[in-house]
Amino acid sequence: MIQTIKLVFTNFKYLVLSFSIFVTMLIGLLIMSEYIFLEPYVVSHIPSGTEFGFVLIVMISALSALVLPMNIFRIYILKSSKQKMGGGVFGSIIGAAAGACSCGPIGFAVISTFGSVGATTTAFLTNYEIPIRIIAIAILSITYFTTIKSLKVECKINS
Amino acid sequence: MNKKGMMIGVVVVAMIAGIIASVSSSPSETVNLDMGRTHGTISTAMGSPILGNPDAPITIVEFGDYQCHQCYNWFHNTKPAIEQQYIESGKVNLVFIDLAFLGRDSPKAAQASYCAEDQEMYWEYHDLVYTSQESKIDSGWANSERLKAFAFSLGLDMELFESCLDSGKYSKRVSFNTQQAKEHGVRGTPGFFIVSSEGQQQISGAQPFTVFKQILDPLI
Repeated sequence: MIQTIKLVFTNFKYLVLSFSIFVTMLIGLLIMSEYIFLEPYVVSHIPSGTEFGFVLIVMISALSALVLPMNIFRIYILKSSKQKMGGGVFGSIIGAAAGACSCGPIGFAVISTFGSVGATTTAFLTNYEIPIRIIAIAILSITYFTTIKSLKVECKINS
Repeated sequence: MNKKGMMIGVVVVAMIAGIIASVSSSPSETVNLDMGRTHGTISTAMGSPILGNPDAPITIVEFGDYQCHQCYNWFHNTKPAIEQQYIESGKVNLVFIDLAFLGRDSPKAAQASYCAEDQEMYWEYHDLVYTSQESKIDSGWANSERLKAFAFSLGLDMELFESCLDSGKYSKRVSFNTQQAKEHGVRGTPGFFIVSSEGQQQISGAQPFTVFKQILDPLI
């Protein structure tokens, strides 16, 4: 497994890509979930009772930063199919969507634009925020292991 | 003469005791009867009674929804310190205005708070609803039956409360408040304006106490 990770991330471009995905997702999700505020001062805090949500955001960001570059590597370097990329992208998107809490500006915009349908959607994302994030982590984990497996097989075939 | 003097003395003592009792029973709550009340550019006439000293030089206007979990976070993590350090000392007061948009139970919960205000129990009811908030929106924790149960647990006159809530007496008041929020660019809950003689500053989200302290201290 470590050999496979090394194979991808010894390439500097994929290391930069991974770091960019991690930082962008982490900061974006922390802002959306109100762990970081930009105005009137840049400030971060973890309110009591929300620690688990914070840990899940870090896990989603880390897994996305691991899985997405590995799949891009498969597609561009090994010219493999794009099929497994879907799991990583899907996991990342649903993990991020769970953070679009209905209290915040995104939820407010969705509810203002789509009315009761928007309210139902954002209420669902808020009510099931933790289970959705856990599902996203599960999808990303499965994608990670299948990608590792594929890379092992494909590299052997190619070499 | 002595009897007359004693009677006058008793009446005077009773009056003083009455005044002290009425002041001490609700030291930090005033019923909102001022229909022209504004704070900065915000019309707070239809909002909550003022929490704290009505003559305080600074007012925090909070826009919130009873079903919003970030409002719950602010209520439990930030508000107690603000109350302790600024409101109780009379430096700052607070007005709550509804931005009831999250679900079908949100407007009803806001209306219920004003039905409690009719019986001079607004803040007690407000605090009880936020303390009782459950994590799921529209799961029934803030439906009419539960709102009535909250009123019952506070010992409110249930006949008055139920007729107020069932009639939708305050539905327009809540709609007016929600409109005020939108007109002032509030795009989520909780949203705040710190209003003082130097103007008004907007704060979005359940920000920590340190942020409020940084803004409030220079104004005092």
